[in-house]
Amino acid sequence: MKVGYYPGCTLKGSAKALDETTHLAVELLGSSLTEIEDWTCCGATTPLTETRIANLIAQTRLLAKTRDAGYDALVTTCPFCFSTLKRANLTLANDELKRRRMNTYLAEDRRLRDYETPPPAWVDYSGETRVLHMLEWIRDDFGFQVISTAARVSLKGLKVAPFYGCQLLRPADELAMCDPENPVLFEEFLGALGTDVIDFPNRIDCCGSYLSVARPEAALRASCKILDSARMHGADTVVVTCPLCFYNLDYFQDEMLRGNPEFKQVPILYFTQLLALALGAPLDKLGLDSHKVDPGPLLERFTVNVPGEVPA
Amino acid sequence: MSRYGIFICHCGKNIAETVDVEELTRRFSETGKLTVVEDYTYLCSDPGQNMIRDSIRDNRLNGVVIASCSPTLHEPTFRAVAEQAGLNKYKLEIANIREQCSWVHDATPEATDKAESIIGAALARVMHAEPLVPIKSPVVRKALVIGGGIAGIQSALDIADSGIEVILVEKDPSIGGHMAQLSETFPTLDCSQCILTPKMVAINRHPLVKIYTYSEIEEIAGSVGDFKVTIKQKPRYVKPDVCTACGDCSAVCPVVVPNEFDMGLKSRKAIYIPFPQAVPAVFTLDTDKCLGLFPLACGNCRDACSIGAIDYDMKPTYVEEHVGAVVVATGFDLYDMSNLGEYGYDQIADVVDGLYFERLLSASGPTDGVVRRPSDGTIPKEIVFIQCAGSREPERHKGYCSKICCMYTAKHAMLYQHSVHGGQSYVFYIDIRAGGRDYEEFYRRALDEGVVYVRGKVSKVYEENGKIVVRGSDTVAGGSVEVRADMVVLATPMEPARGTDELVHKLKLGCAEGGWIREIHPKLRPIEAVTPGFFLAGAIQGPKDIPESVAQASGAASKTIGLLNSEEMVKEPIVAAINEDLCVGCRLCVQMCPYNARVWEEDRRVATVNAMLCEGCGVCAAGCPSGATRQDGFTDAQIVAAVEATLEGPKDLIRKIFGPPSSDIVDIEKEMQEMADADGVSVEAVK
Amino acid sequence: MVRILQPEERREAVNRMHELSNQDILLCLQCGKCTAGCPFSNDMDLAPHQIVRMAQLGLIDELKASEAIWYCATCFTCVSRCPVAIDIAAVAEVIRLYLQMDDEARFDPESIPKSLTENAPQQALVSLYRKFGN
Repeated sequence: MKVGYYPGCTLKGSAKALDETTHLAVELLGSSLTEIEDWTCCGATTPLTETRIANLIAQTRLLAKTRDAGYDALVTTCPFCFSTLKRANLTLANDELKRRRMNTYLAEDRRLRDYETPPPAWVDYSGETRVLHMLEWIRDDFGFQVISTAARVSLKGLKVAPFYGCQLLRPADELAMCDPENPVLFEEFLGALGTDVIDFPNRIDCCGSYLSVARPEAALRASCKILDSARMHGADTVVVTCPLCFYNLDYFQDEMLRGNPEFKQVPILYFTQLLALALGAPLDKLGLDSHKVDPGPLLERFTVNVPGEVPA
Repeated sequence: MSRYGIFICHCGKNIAETVDVEELTRRFSETGKLTVVEDYTYLCSDPGQNMIRDSIRDNRLNGVVIASCSPTLHEPTFRAVAEQAGLNKYKLEIANIREQCSWVHDATPEATDKAESIIGAALARVMHAEPLVPIKSPVVRKALVIGGGIAGIQSALDIADSGIEVILVEKDPSIGGHMAQLSETFPTLDCSQCILTPKMVAINRHPLVKIYTYSEIEEIAGSVGDFKVTIKQKPRYVKPDVCTACGDCSAVCPVVVPNEFDMGLKSRKAIYIPFPQAVPAVFTLDTDKCLGLFPLACGNCRDACSIGAIDYDMKPTYVEEHVGAVVVATGFDLYDMSNLGEYGYDQIADVVDGLYFERLLSASGPTDGVVRRPSDGTIPKEIVFIQCAGSREPERHKGYCSKICCMYTAKHAMLYQHSVHGGQSYVFYIDIRAGGRDYEEFYRRALDEGVVYVRGKVSKVYEENGKIVVRGSDTVAGGSVEVRADMVVLATPMEPARGTDELVHKLKLGCAEGGWIREIHPKLRPIEAVTPGFFLAGAIQGPKDIPESVAQASGAASKTIGLLNSEEMVKEPIVAAINEDLCVGCRLCVQMCPYNARVWEEDRRVATVNAMLCEGCGVCAAGCPSGATRQDGFTDAQIVAAVEATLEGPKDLIRKIFGPPSSDIVDIEKEMQEMADADGVSVEAVK
Repeated sequence: MVRILQPEERREAVNRMHELSNQDILLCLQCGKCTAGCPFSNDMDLAPHQIVRMAQLGLIDELKASEAIWYCATCFTCVSRCPVAIDIAAVAEVIRLYLQMDDEARFDPESIPKSLTENAPQQALVSLYRKFGN
């Protein structure tokens, strides 16, 4: 299966660390990711009203482009991109009317544009590209057992609380990745890295998402509740897949502390940072300087302790 | 001379408002080929029936079409009328112009055309109909009851008390069913076992009842009046007639497993008796749990049994019984809680279902009626009860209302508060359904006793700090609420007992939504299954409480008694028949028949029909390559004629069937006079 | 103020909601499971089940005036647990769409303090504008 990598806008912006550690980890696993060319924003959300048909164009164009470049699947790390692309893909496969409208529009659009070198005519897209999340790809293409064996650094004793958030889980019948109430994928991944996985009830909750921009007080409360619960269950760190979860849980901790002096700060990590660390990447390659709550002190004690060459 | 009559019913406005009945009457009259064309407001009324009867008799009709409602409703009525008038009743056909026409169309000319077409097709069928004679067969005066819960027990007792022999088959080692597990019963709060065990004893002692426990229906053949039933007795490795239930065997058994009867709250041995009042009072060796018989790994129980009741070489035995009717009373089980991920059953030990809580409340239960948490045995101070935990969730679990949960939850909440001083019950509910005598009063009593009812559903249950956090909503106060409880009881849906699918398949019964067994008519024939000779009792038909189950069980018994007290079975002759001269012996029909009604006769090399088994489905008649098989009541000639009549369309229909209109209106008096003259008798004699 | 229920308006509102959201809101039993699981139900002036109830009754003006529709983060917790699988996020989105159609959208990107936007991930801004803006 030929896989194209789609980073999405945030990974080239505020979540560079996620993009960089994704590449780093995959390289440490002896493989590499090829970014698809000329990509655009995925649209970030799934349009829920029937009239917002234009909000499907970006996804259709991206997925068709991936297909036309000869890839079987598109893998993405950001759950927003994952959810938006996967749901759009399902719509294009199953909703005949929307499929026709999208394809008619995009074919016409390509024909009318004034290209210097006109691209080939549009080929109808109906959901051929598989959409995968990085966690699924790692599980299926490498296997968690392989990661476990490849790990150079034992993360034993690091108490990690996996936080799923919403976009990886729901709606479960469409995303078809995890049991939406009792998911295990993230736990299995973190377990393979040798960490002590903490189970906490709020791991499938919403962090407040984009409300942190529009209704910051509500998002802050939601995020704070998640962190309190993780802490209470003994977590040293909360691990996320999503840049927006990262932002909401990390960036506002100073404010949480201002609101409640009892609040205990907890570093937030991307799953790829932990993966890279376990595979032997040095701390200074993990992009930890972008964190508001510095995970450095927590991670310092996890140094290379398996013999072998350490990549520079 | 063919003399046909058409009678068109207005059914008040039901038909006449949509279909132009007068126009229909006119169209058929003006053909001049029909002896009688009449319409009437209500043909099913007494005057309507009399009119038809007199008309058949006076006009010596030899074929009648009644255009009215569905034949499932009044076909028997009108066929009885035909019989009274001396016409073979299978020469009367119903044209359904209500359900299949007036009720589903607007009042347009097309509706009238369609009614005409339907009547025309029925007329074509009746013209090609043969007179048929009902099939009669003897009745075996013995009943089978499947399922030994309260419904099965009640049915079996009622039937046996009327002097008819009963075979009762129960899959578990003891009869008693779920009712034996219950604590107290709503709304009177009498002890469940106290009212059940006398019935268990009575049935065990009844001279006309034979009980097969630990047994299942292997096969059932035959038809109403004479079923051949093969019962599989699973080996219990203990001889029931020798065992005295002394318990020496289980005392030495080294295997300890959770007791299913106590929902795992208590343990049992591999050789066990499910509960003290079990009927029969015989031990059963559970080979799934035993250390092993082949080769023998332990042998303690056999060594301990001083009377030699234990027999490791026991094999399944198959018993054949002949019965005339069957009562199906296989009851319900509860939906698996692990399907409800958001309620944390798999993660949290103190989340249980209603039956589990019954065992906790039962005075004779594993905790002697003291409510204790399964996780640590402490007495919970706050309990949350979640109603509709899977019921009324059509997109996720079960769409139906499980009906008994409102009442048993009120009972649980109250009984818990009675037993734990200062204990607090919370009930999350959507609606309280307390229909039934004294039920509403029972619910109000729970309110009055301080049970807190919260109107809203629970979305998530999780553990935190040793408490179970229940996050629900209060839709009346508005917003979400949290209760930090010690224990959670889920009112999970009732569903047909495990194994119902397989039984339905063996018995060839019909299923309703949700896998429940369906009755012929939900209002007017609620006890009869769709297959003749099978009656339904209790929760196999849908969620029911004890009073309803018992009432229906007695109803099923009464139906069974009525059937078995008849001299012979009379069956509609709508069955397959064979022209043996044409049969080429290909035996396709034998393979196709779903009812084993086609019999290959090796010596004569023809495939005959067992009319008692034949359900008249028509598969063999359609499949017969040589045209030897005929479906009585639906012969090829009838069907082809009906199709042709329909395809011709309303305008050409009558011409097609009857030829061009004749000015020669049939004059019955004149015709009779001619017949009388020809035979040399008086006109009165002809009439 | 007494709400006067208008059969025609109600029917039309329900049909329009069905057309735009593809959700059959008449199936709602008002069980409140959505409200129970919603992370923001207590921040809202109308709980999620009330949003659906008002939509059932065709009280669209009240919904347009509510704060609640601006608190939905489309986390789909309600959708995933709803016994009749109604997508309430879609219902709220339709109400916001109505406001946009009327040119009364109460979301003004300019009103958000820069301190909140300058560090926010790009996906937050894109999705916020898509959900709340035009």
